[in-house]
Amino acid sequence: MSVLARSVGNAFRNKVRTAAVVAVLAVAIGLALAMLVANQAVTGKVAELNASVGTVLTVNPAGGQGFEGGGEPLTSAQAATAAAVPNVSSVVGTKALRLRNAAQIAAEAASGRTGQGGPGGQSATSVTTSLTAAVDAGTLGNRNQASTGTSGTSGSTTAAAPAFSLPITATGIGAGVDSTGKALQLTQGTGLGNYTAASTGALLGTTLATKNGLSVGSTFTIQDKTFTVQGLFDAGTAFGNNALYVTLPTAQTLAALPDELSTMIVTVNSMENVDAAKTALQAALGSGKADVTQGQRNLATAVSSLDSVKNISFIAFVAALGTAGLIILLIMVMLVRERRREIGVLKAIGAPNRTIGLQFVLEALVLVALGSVVGAAVASLASGGIASALISSSSTTAAAGQRGGPGGFPGGQGGPFGGASQLLTSVTASASPGVIAAGIAAVFGVAIIGALVPALLTARIRPIEVLRGE
Amino acid sequence: MIEVKNLVRTFKSGDRSIKPVNDVSFELEQGTLASIVGKSGSGKSTLLSLLGALDKPTSGDVVVNGVSLASMPDGKLTNYRRRDIGFVFQQFNLIPNLSAVDNVMLPMEFAGMRKAARAERARQLLEQVQLDPDKHVRRINRLSGGEQQRVAIARALANEPKLILADEPTGNLDEQTGEHIIELLSTLSRDHNTTILVVTHDRALANKTDRRFRLQQGRLTEEPARNRATAAVTG
Repeated sequence: MSVLARSVGNAFRNKVRTAAVVAVLAVAIGLALAMLVANQAVTGKVAELNASVGTVLTVNPAGGQGFEGGGEPLTSAQAATAAAVPNVSSVVGTKALRLRNAAQIAAEAASGRTGQGGPGGQSATSVTTSLTAAVDAGTLGNRNQASTGTSGTSGSTTAAAPAFSLPITATGIGAGVDSTGKALQLTQGTGLGNYTAASTGALLGTTLATKNGLSVGSTFTIQDKTFTVQGLFDAGTAFGNNALYVTLPTAQTLAALPDELSTMIVTVNSMENVDAAKTALQAALGSGKADVTQGQRNLATAVSSLDSVKNISFIAFVAALGTAGLIILLIMVMLVRERRREIGVLKAIGAPNRTIGLQFVLEALVLVALGSVVGAAVASLASGGIASALISSSSTTAAAGQRGGPGGFPGGQGGPFGGASQLLTSVTASASPGVIAAGIAAVFGVAIIGALVPALLTARIRPIEVLRGE
Repeated sequence: MIEVKNLVRTFKSGDRSIKPVNDVSFELEQGTLASIVGKSGSGKSTLLSLLGALDKPTSGDVVVNGVSLASMPDGKLTNYRRRDIGFVFQQFNLIPNLSAVDNVMLPMEFAGMRKAARAERARQLLEQVQLDPDKHVRRINRLSGGEQQRVAIARALANEPKLILADEPTGNLDEQTGEHIIELLSTLSRDHNTTILVVTHDRALANKTDRRFRLQQGRLTEEPARNRATAAVTG
């Protein structure tokens, strides 16, 4: 009979006790694994959030956002100033234009309607295009038009006004990112190459391209200048896909405002530095000239909450692992004490200490293996619930923090950071084989120590001490 | 050859010191069958455990074939017990959840013998001690006291030790089996040049040994033996 066979036999020497030990171990191991799985899930989510939107600041002209408000426009010199602020890793300037269909403008002029509503402190000049908007004006568009437009009548002839069509937002960008700083999701074609040089290339939203029957390689006009579609992108919203991107210098030329920027997208080198960079940026640009907004503030609160969950789950994992180790240690102390005479006999007939140690370690590992199998099943069932419980309590805290936060991101995008709690609850805790294997390896490591210590301590004593003591 | 030199083992009991082994010296030639008799508590089992390196003496030494046990580190003492010593304990000290054959195989496993070889030798040894073949695979706790005694003797013989130390080896055996065990020990001593030291209350067994010692209040004296009377005993 080998050491292994002897150890397996010993593990089942008392079946009732073995069942009880396995049950206790399974609870501790299951809890440890569930916590590890939750920790891994949250860690992954935190990394994902940090990588996506965690470090972007948006700079708007003081008093203006998008096509609303007033104040003085941003300039390229301010972009250079922003780039010099500590911890700022990149500054991308944008220049937004409102494109209106040339035929539509002509029809409105013929019917007496004079021009599109002024876009506040931004570009008041209508830029014409051959494109037709992909979004119908509908009730909201017509209501907005009525409130901002300067409908006039000329003469006594009452002509039927043509149907109002929405403008198309064209954005000049200094890099291949959208207005939130995220990389453009191209579905066809390529990017624009060098975004800091004038170009006749353009990227169109998918619905805008479909509406106008365009694909990669097709052409259209802006201000009678021909542009070629170099790629199609999917912004994920109907509003976002009724837009196009050109390079920043091109947009500035089209607007005849070569040095002017609508916004600056500032990326900070790490999330920890965002607050400091925001303060420094505001100071460098001047509070009367630029508004610096931290779109991810809500998300920062959320990520902070997730970090807490991550820490709690890690501490709970370590605690559960320690508990499992303590259980194993106590069980092995009990078993070793119970079998002191047996250890004495084995020593008396020539068993080396390592053989005795190995026998008890293998016995402990048999118990732990059984506990791990049951514990893994427990973890796979419980980890989702535990993660949800931890995160739901955390997201409640995060939501409370959001109520006092700044408003949504400009541009009417529906507040991409407004659903931080949604992001939190979208964490999925799945018991991946790798994580389970890592957890079980840790439990086995603890079990080896827990079994070796009492066995070797007993094996070190003289055989007669245990034989005589019985 | 075993030389025992001024061996003393002292135990503390409160303020008192007890010396179950008190300045014992003797020599045994290889192949000698010897016995120690004495009253209960006279120190016989303590002396055996000192000779078998289960315990360390307070003073004195045991020298086996020129090698001192007193200066031997624990690891080498384990090797000594594995290779050179066979123990038959008064309480048998078998592993209760193992079968008879598994118990006999244990010392051979520790000595690194291959599984098939040790299974075969274990079977032969159990036959030598007259354990029924159908009981070879029976768990120890399902064997009678006499059967356990025979398994313990078979285990002591497993690694063909140079020295067998037996504490009451016939104590739980019927007369016929006891006779057979005595014969077996005599044969081992005579034919295999194995030194055997038996602690016994059995006068019949003691009378069949080459040399006979008496331990009284920790001191050893040699009595005239039936076969041979080599003295050189002090203490």
